[in-house]
Amino acid sequence: MKDFSVINKRLPRVDAWSKVTGEARYAADLSMPNMLYAVLFQSPLAHAKILNIDTSAAKKIVGVKDIVTYKEAGTIRYGVSPARYDETMFCYDKVRYVGDEIAAVAAIDFETAMEAASLIKVDYEELPFYLNVFDAIKEGAVPIHDDYPNNIGAEVHQEFGNVEDAFKECDYIRTDRFVNKKQDGGFLEPQACLAYYDMNGNLTLYTSTQTPHYVQRTVSMVLNIPIGKVRVVKPYVGGGFGPKASANTIELAASLLSMRTGRPVKMVMNREQVFMHSRGRHQFYHELTTGVKKDGTIHALKNTCYLDGGAYSSFGIATVYYAGSLLGAPYRLPNMKYDGYRVYTNKPACGAQRGHGGVAARAAWEQQLDIIAGELGIDPIEFRLKNVREKGEVTCNDFNLSSFGMKECLEAIRDRSDWKNKKGKLPKGKGIGVACGFFVSGAGYPIYRSETFHSTAMIKLSEDGGTVELYTAAAEIGQGSDTVLTMMAAEALGVRYEDVKIYSGDTDFGVDLGAYSSRQTLMSGHAVKQAAEDVKRQVLEVLSKRLNIPVEDMDIKDGYIVFKKGPVDFSGIRSYYIKEHRGWAEQPSDDRLTFKEAARIAYIERGTIVSTGAYKPGELGGKYKGATVGTSPAYGCSAQIVEVTVDMETGKVTVDKMTDAHDCGFAINRTNVEGQMQGSLSMGLGEALFEEVKFDEKGRVANPTFGEYRIPTALDMPNVNTIIIESDEPNGPFGAKEVGEGAIMPTIPAILNAIYDAVGVRIDELPVTSERLYNAIKEKERKK
Amino acid sequence: MLLLPRFDYEEPKDLSEACKILAGLKGNGKIIAGGTDLLVNMKKGLVSPSCLVSIGRIPGLSEIEPQNSSIFIGSNLIVAKLTEFALIRKRYPMLYEAASVLGSPLIRNRATIGGNIVTARPAADLPPPLIAMGAKIKLKNKRGEREIELEKFFKGPGETIIKQDEILTGIILDEPPMFSGGSYIKLGHRKALEIAIVAVASFITLDKPDGIIVDAKVILSSVAPKAIHAVSAEKTLIGEKPTNKLIEKAANLASGDCTPIDDIRGSAEYRCAMVEVLTKRTLTAALKQAKKSR
Ligand SMILES: Cc1cc2nc3c(=O)[nH]c(=O)nc-3n(C[C@H](O)[C@H](O)[C@H](O)COP(=O)(O)OP(=O)(O)OC[C@H]3O[C@@H](n4cnc5c(N)ncnc54)[C@H](O)[C@@H]3O)c2cc1C
Repeated sequence: MKDFSVINKRLPRVDAWSKVTGEARYAADLSMPNMLYAVLFQSPLAHAKILNIDTSAAKKIVGVKDIVTYKEAGTIRYGVSPARYDETMFCYDKVRYVGDEIAAVAAIDFETAMEAASLIKVDYEELPFYLNVFDAIKEGAVPIHDDYPNNIGAEVHQEFGNVEDAFKECDYIRTDRFVNKKQDGGFLEPQACLAYYDMNGNLTLYTSTQTPHYVQRTVSMVLNIPIGKVRVVKPYVGGGFGPKASANTIELAASLLSMRTGRPVKMVMNREQVFMHSRGRHQFYHELTTGVKKDGTIHALKNTCYLDGGAYSSFGIATVYYAGSLLGAPYRLPNMKYDGYRVYTNKPACGAQRGHGGVAARAAWEQQLDIIAGELGIDPIEFRLKNVREKGEVTCNDFNLSSFGMKECLEAIRDRSDWKNKKGKLPKGKGIGVACGFFVSGAGYPIYRSETFHSTAMIKLSEDGGTVELYTAAAEIGQGSDTVLTMMAAEALGVRYEDVKIYSGDTDFGVDLGAYSSRQTLMSGHAVKQAAEDVKRQVLEVLSKRLNIPVEDMDIKDGYIVFKKGPVDFSGIRSYYIKEHRGWAEQPSDDRLTFKEAARIAYIERGTIVSTGAYKPGELGGKYKGATVGTSPAYGCSAQIVEVTVDMETGKVTVDKMTDAHDCGFAINRTNVEGQMQGSLSMGLGEALFEEVKFDEKGRVANPTFGEYRIPTALDMPNVNTIIIESDEPNGPFGAKEVGEGAIMPTIPAILNAIYDAVGVRIDELPVTSERLYNAIKEKERKK
Repeated sequence: MLLLPRFDYEEPKDLSEACKILAGLKGNGKIIAGGTDLLVNMKKGLVSPSCLVSIGRIPGLSEIEPQNSSIFIGSNLIVAKLTEFALIRKRYPMLYEAASVLGSPLIRNRATIGGNIVTARPAADLPPPLIAMGAKIKLKNKRGEREIELEKFFKGPGETIIKQDEILTGIILDEPPMFSGGSYIKLGHRKALEIAIVAVASFITLDKPDGIIVDAKVILSSVAPKAIHAVSAEKTLIGEKPTNKLIEKAANLASGDCTPIDDIRGSAEYRCAMVEVLTKRTLTAALKQAKKSR
């Protein structure tokens, strides 16, 4: 292990103080003089033609400053992937779900805006609506989007190897089905924004987003403002988990209203609107057929999936690919066939959510593999160990596993959880289960076709030499990117953590695709490291000239210049510096030359010292259609063991213990890595046991509150035993890769497998509420 | 955005002033205690009082007062306190159990016992054990004071017999009889912040430690518009010697004593089945206590 000064440690987050004291300002906390407040008017119907929109009564309310509909906004189409731009700022021909946006009202306060919005009158012609995938694709169903007459917005057909032939070579084949439920992001901070279009035609948009860059592009395109005049700034963000990874209507509407009124405009979603806007986890209907050899070798997988996409595409075109491609690892699987269909329905649009596209597929498959191991009489961990891939292997769908600590993860949790003495030996009602996971470390390509860098960074040394200013457009959304980027800058440059000041989440600072697909530590990290190394080189070059020592004979570490070949006379620099600072309390007196002195000299010599870094992945594998979804510079993997207690009479599941190992390549901040593991586990636990966005018969969200939509409370989370595995990723900065999303992958199936161990029933539908499990237990008793 | 509508706010210093203010408001005023129900409902636009009258400064309403053979619990006592007083925990353990599963620590630090009663939610946690133990409540207005059995207070969801100008001042709980015991169990999805799928409170009294059951109360919650008695279960228990078999029989009858509905939290069928399970569990726990008590 190399000797590091800053990284690989447990340093406090850079934003710890401002968050715990409440000093941190989120978008909804912001205000500006002369600001207007705006609200949306949304469809009460799931599917209807718009015949007429009447805003006249609303306009008469005193205090209303502007009302906009499609007439003012235009009908430029946008979305996430340019191949599926199917949204407009406001509906014009029809509404496609309850909550579809029709108008926005700006007024002197929220009360007035809400009152006015309630007076907008729309005449509709109701259309048949579909709340279920299978109704939407029936013969004769009315298309939700004219371009997709059968309501299938995207489909994928892939085959690697030859699955039919491979099944003939298998000794054991089984088919299982699995369905999850629509999961909400469940972030604590609802979307909010503040837009200000100034006299010079510059738009500044403060918004709660994961992706300032994509929001900037969408706003520029939809409102037709030159992109250089659009600045998107991300304040502190209270979680995103995927749903905040693209532009939303309030960002567009607030910007439009500000352009028209010349005043700052603020918009805030309420919790019900968050549920309606959604863009959270899809509902996936998987059917998996897996074939294995007698000895437990996995040989072939056939995967069919229908995704309930909701009314718009959002990230769905990527989701439908991921629901297939992410099963390509972590096991040696030579033959894989996938047919995926993403279906439009009249519900809130689904998008990317932590573990994008792969969570339900993983749950389904890991449960099936557990069944298969049982049928073959092989211990589930032994079965997995037999099949896992290792570093350097390439999957059947061309994923290059440049580092891969899967085996190490499995062995670690097996040993740490005392699996051998528990599996099959626990009393009835208690169970233990295992599962593995796999995820990308950053999407290999931007969401729009481009050769853009994925991340840039800029470092400027303050002219006094004392402070390193790091500028990045990367989005800190609570996951800790500001902290790890600061740590990487400090390490690469050789200064202390506290010497680096980070400015982030602002499109004026460069390009960064944002916080999604678990990409920032690897990609933004590369750019930052490169910029830091360049600054270091510049400072050392100046020193080299001054002191007449080759650059290679010097280094910078912990804020000091290191002379590798023994002491050097730097008294010239020292006395110059002291002269410059006559009368100052602190003067360098150390017998070592400080970075501050060196950086000051560099400035005197060259002017302001600035450097930049830029990263994009190199050539990635895969030439087949859809290879761009799933290929990544690196892949994370994980394994988990969960122990549960089931109340046999009520069906209630209590998760007693979780042991989780994750290969993150290299932990930049060990506490942050564990935090991501714990957060992922709690989100997985919620999806496994509690969470489900429900709809009434009219297509309205039936539980749009945190009272009836249940994310786990602190009391529902057991202690988690976290184990960090470091496999030293060659394509990552300092060897680092993802942990943000991959860690969620094994949670659901590990819980399901533990429940089976406890009570002997398999559940193929989430969430495992007490009632669902109770019914399954009763069903099994009846069959006896 | 959910915005709180505008309202006036009064903070009377004693009960008679509070009664006067409330009477003067002629139905446009509402008492505010912890506000954990009221403010939520105001934000949703379900109620819109022009004035809120706080009872926070009125002496005596936020305390527990032991009396001769009973205790008086001030209506403004926060639920967290019910979980802290040794007296409650020892003498009225089922009230302690119910209080400790109400909401979350944050909610328990604001929510009051009086608010939990007057708000009259079908799934409220405190009424079932209070009814099972025969609690009485005191209601006061400008003209006087009345004392009634808590049981008679509820009419339906959100509906009670309280008059517009009345204040609930407190709850009276008699000392439990010798050889009695009670238990409250709530079934929810999570470990906190749960509205019950089903909850059951059982309270039984024996004539002597290994004697017969002389009184039995089985209160079912979340299975009807208000907490109800499992009438046939109670009948079966009274006069009998408690055995596992008897308890199972009573539990089975209890599930027939209710006609729950399907809703977002659970199906009617599951609820009935759970009434049986929880009745069995609460009766078993109650019996164990009764055998030990004094
Ligand atoms: C997140 C959350 C979780 C919750 N979980 C639970 C739970 O698990 N179990 C449960 O039972 N409840 C729960 N509740 C509901 C609520 O917290 C309780 O009912 C609480 O006890 C209400 O008390 P309060 O003091 O806040 O009442 P308030 O909101 O102040 O008042 C409620 C009603 O009672 C009236 N009122 C209050 N005091 C008096 C009085 N002395 N005289 C006359 N009228 C009065 C008010 O005018 C109002 O109509 C929850 C609420 C929230 C917000």
